Amino acid sequence: MTIPGFILRNALRNKRRLVLTLLSVTLSLFLFTMLQTALHEMTQPSQTEESSLRVIVRHKVSLGNALPTKYQSRIERVPGVRTCMKFTWFGGIYRDPKDFFPQFAVDADKLADIFSEAKVDPQENAAFIKDRAGCVVGIKTMDRFGWKLGDRITLKGTIWPCDPVLTIRGVYRGGIDETNLFFHHEYMDELCGKWGVCLNFWIRAHRAEDIPGLIKQIDETFANTDAETKTETERAFLLEFVSMIGNVKVLINSICSVIIFTLILVTASTMSMAIRERAREIAILKAVGYDGWQILGLILAESFGLALTGGFLGCFGAWFGATMLFQYVNIATVSNGMFIKLEVTPHIVVSGMLIAIVLGVVSCIVPAWSSVRMSVVTGLKELD
Amino acid sequence: MNAEPIVQIRDLTKLYRHGEIDVTALDNVSLDISAGEFVALMGPSGSGKSTLLHIIAGVDRPTSGQCVVQGTDVAALNETQLAEWRNHHVGFVFQTFNLIPVLTAFENVELPLLLTSLSSRERRAHVEAALELVGLADRMRHLPRQLSGGQEQRVAIARSLVTDPTLLVADEPTGNLDAHSATEVLSLLQTLNRTAGKTVILVTHDPKAAAYAGRTLHLEKGELLNGHDDSRLHSA
Repeated sequence: MTIPGFILRNALRNKRRLVLTLLSVTLSLFLFTMLQTALHEMTQPSQTEESSLRVIVRHKVSLGNALPTKYQSRIERVPGVRTCMKFTWFGGIYRDPKDFFPQFAVDADKLADIFSEAKVDPQENAAFIKDRAGCVVGIKTMDRFGWKLGDRITLKGTIWPCDPVLTIRGVYRGGIDETNLFFHHEYMDELCGKWGVCLNFWIRAHRAEDIPGLIKQIDETFANTDAETKTETERAFLLEFVSMIGNVKVLINSICSVIIFTLILVTASTMSMAIRERAREIAILKAVGYDGWQILGLILAESFGLALTGGFLGCFGAWFGATMLFQYVNIATVSNGMFIKLEVTPHIVVSGMLIAIVLGVVSCIVPAWSSVRMSVVTGLKELD
Repeated sequence: MNAEPIVQIRDLTKLYRHGEIDVTALDNVSLDISAGEFVALMGPSGSGKSTLLHIIAGVDRPTSGQCVVQGTDVAALNETQLAEWRNHHVGFVFQTFNLIPVLTAFENVELPLLLTSLSSRERRAHVEAALELVGLADRMRHLPRQLSGGQEQRVAIARSLVTDPTLLVADEPTGNLDAHSATEVLSLLQTLNRTAGKTVILVTHDPKAAAYAGRTLHLEKGELLNGHDDSRLHSA
């Protein structure tokens, strides 16, 4: 027998309690990892080289207020702007509300430049630009509904008073979201009665260094107008969507704190019972020559083992689960567009494992320390 | 009795504090125990015999006085030194056996050796020898629940012997055993004293058990009763 073998025997002595404690640690850390992953997805939008060059212009009052489309030509003249595209959330229904996927009205000839990470066959893109009632659809939505090029689909407007009938002219692949549908802004405008508005302008800057000056100049250009603008980077713009839901970060972190606190109480209770039950054995170990620190080491190692095993199962279970979920389930559809993907980052896994380590120490330190301080005679008296 | 004293106790006093009241467990006890002796400590409950045994074995500390065991002033050692000292010099046998239930007889006996620098092979040899000595070589893979009370106590004796200590202390080792098993255990302690030269200190209520010792010391209300020194040897 070895010391690790002895620790393992002690840990396995009450299998039912071990399994239940392990399950509570595993499930709690699984939940923690998934919640942190969701929070990460909401608060840390993916940043690519292309997205770092994108700037969004919206109404200063709110995301829901529209801007006049006539702003476009003035924005295009601002130094540093390479492309400026109208961009409007259509939010129509295809067949049934549960068949949700994101739809946007855009400037067809500028789409490829603004979202250059989304690749469209040049011939398909040309066909899309040429057909005012054409659209480009992400591969995931194409696969989801079994569509093919040339298919005609009808979207029923819910925000905008029109029902565009669109012909699929192209499929795009790549980018962080392969579920979108893009169609001509002019077509929507025409169907709605030429209101001459759009929700945003999406800009591609020439260089990242141009962006601060560009933002300042655009907002100054439209200051003191009926529709003042707020110009911001894509990242800041996406984060505003999250802030519209409320202080999600505080909410999720509060839930995580409660989970961890409860977990510590449950594990501390288990370890406390396990150590108390062994008071006599601890006294015997001391009597045969084990000192207080060695006893502390044995108890800590057992607690660590339990917490780390639970942490490993919980964190890596979440990583595996999220990977599988992302592979077989359309996250964007299930979450109504709130999440594009679910990626358990190494940082989150490390956080989960660090919590497991802290749990290993905190849950047993008080009863373990009492055992260290307990005299052999006191321990021996417990037996009689 | 002319051998070198292995235990030298001078003016030993132990007070326990219960709330506001000091209870005297040992009152100015002085005694010598020679190497190779088999001493029985007798007395009624609360007489201080277990306290005296605990102080000699280094698991309790006196309030005043001196307890020198094998030339070491036990009370002067810190907890870590004391634990190491116990591992090398003292073998414990308890009334309730106190084997670790999840370990086999072999592993229970091996437990004190895990603290030494012995190799796995050397540990195995020591454990097998100790179990052989107590007549349980064929039970080494059994868990404590698969052994009888007498066998469990013999495993506990093997555990106390495995580090080859000079001093064996036994606190009511037959208290939980039937007559037959008690005789086996006491005979074993006597054999270890006679053939292996171990110094044995036995705490007991039972005069029959004390009869196995070479000398019997009586304690009452924390005092050693002078002149009450039975030097009978049990001839089993």
